Amino acid sequence: METLSTRGRVARVAVTVAGVVLLLLGTLWGQDDDFPFGPFRMYSTAPDPNADAPDTRVEGVDATGRTVVLTEANSGLRRAEIEGQQRAYIDDPGRLRQVAIAYAEKSPEAAPLRTVRIVIRWEGIEHSRPTGTSRDEVIATWTAP
Amino acid sequence: MKKVVGWLTEPVPLGRVAAFRTLIYLFVAADLVIFTPWVRHHASTPGDLYKPLLVGRLLHLPIPTPLLVHGIFWSLLVVALAAATGRAPRLLGWTVFALYFEWMVIAMSYGKVDHDRVGLLVALAVLPTVGRARHGDPRRTEAGGWALRVTQIAVVCTYFLAAWAKLRFGGLDWVTSSVLARAIIRRGTDFADLIAGVPYLLILAQFGIVAFELASPVIFFLRPRWRNYAVAFFYSFHLVTFATITISFAPHLAAITAFLALEKVRPLVWARGFLGRNRGEVKGHERPVV
Repeated sequence: METLSTRGRVARVAVTVAGVVLLLLGTLWGQDDDFPFGPFRMYSTAPDPNADAPDTRVEGVDATGRTVVLTEANSGLRRAEIEGQQRAYIDDPGRLRQVAIAYAEKSPEAAPLRTVRIVIRWEGIEHSRPTGTSRDEVIATWTAP
Repeated sequence: MKKVVGWLTEPVPLGRVAAFRTLIYLFVAADLVIFTPWVRHHASTPGDLYKPLLVGRLLHLPIPTPLLVHGIFWSLLVVALAAATGRAPRLLGWTVFALYFEWMVIAMSYGKVDHDRVGLLVALAVLPTVGRARHGDPRRTEAGGWALRVTQIAVVCTYFLAAWAKLRFGGLDWVTSSVLARAIIRRGTDFADLIAGVPYLLILAQFGIVAFELASPVIFFLRPRWRNYAVAFFYSFHLVTFATITISFAPHLAAITAFLALEKVRPLVWARGFLGRNRGEVKGHERPVV
């Protein structure tokens, strides 16, 4: 059997304890920014059982007037990434120009985007179940000058 | 104390470490091209949208450029496949860890952090410390036992600490909230829509999720046979998650194999045996006794 030296054993115990302590600190006080020791906060919020649910999308209008939904495939940006920086886009809608640039880089053969907007579709929820009704709200728009 | 340290470094067969190592490095290659191919899209994302994580700022990691992103992609793919052979386990292992870690910093620095890969990152960080391990080697190793144990701990933390996070961010109301209904609206399948239609089923599921997450450390106290059932339950939980809201947690699924007796899975030996039999060769114990 391959046994560990005392030093090897102590080092491993120390690393284990340090790792677990960092994970605990991250869980109790950390944020996503502290990756990989941040809290495991996937689906950890508690939205009201009767509050409408936001379903966000990013869409653009190209030079031909066509409306295109921007996806990971055609813009290289994930929806959750747009949502993660949503506040910054609302405060400065000019940032959406970067999304138009990302789209042009990823889809060079497509017509350039003249307008980019973030739209939230509010889906109705009652008693923690979808009602099937919805309404759209535009929260940020950028149009090429 | 001595008992805890003994548990932490409980020896396992070297063959198990070899199999786990091959599986994890093959997964890294698959992750690059199949499971999280979107990371490569950041090559064309404007640098203004890059918001580096704390670790990226501390280490002064560069703003991703097409050269950096494609460079890491191709070198990581080649090194991970080389590491999967088990050769130069320390050199190739540390290189994979460093490259994959930077790959993850790039992935998570555009406004969304995923929580499905702490177990995989731990596995990548500890595998190089084991050194050489040959497939099928029955000799036992304490260094390998520790590597598998801390990966298992990271897997269980992913569940157990997720329950804590729910309490912190959602509070006790989480179990009766509309969190699953929201998830289904955003990314639900037809199967999920069916489930969402049943009154109170989603709320029941929320109670079940918290109960399962809080109970997950029990796996460390189970006998091997029941431990395997618990692992099967883990996988079935993720199967249902995938069938309803298309979230795969693939890196975590790879890390869960740290709980299994992987040394018994010998695809190359089986293939060789199968081909040998087809050629009419028979082993000693297969000869008729006359």
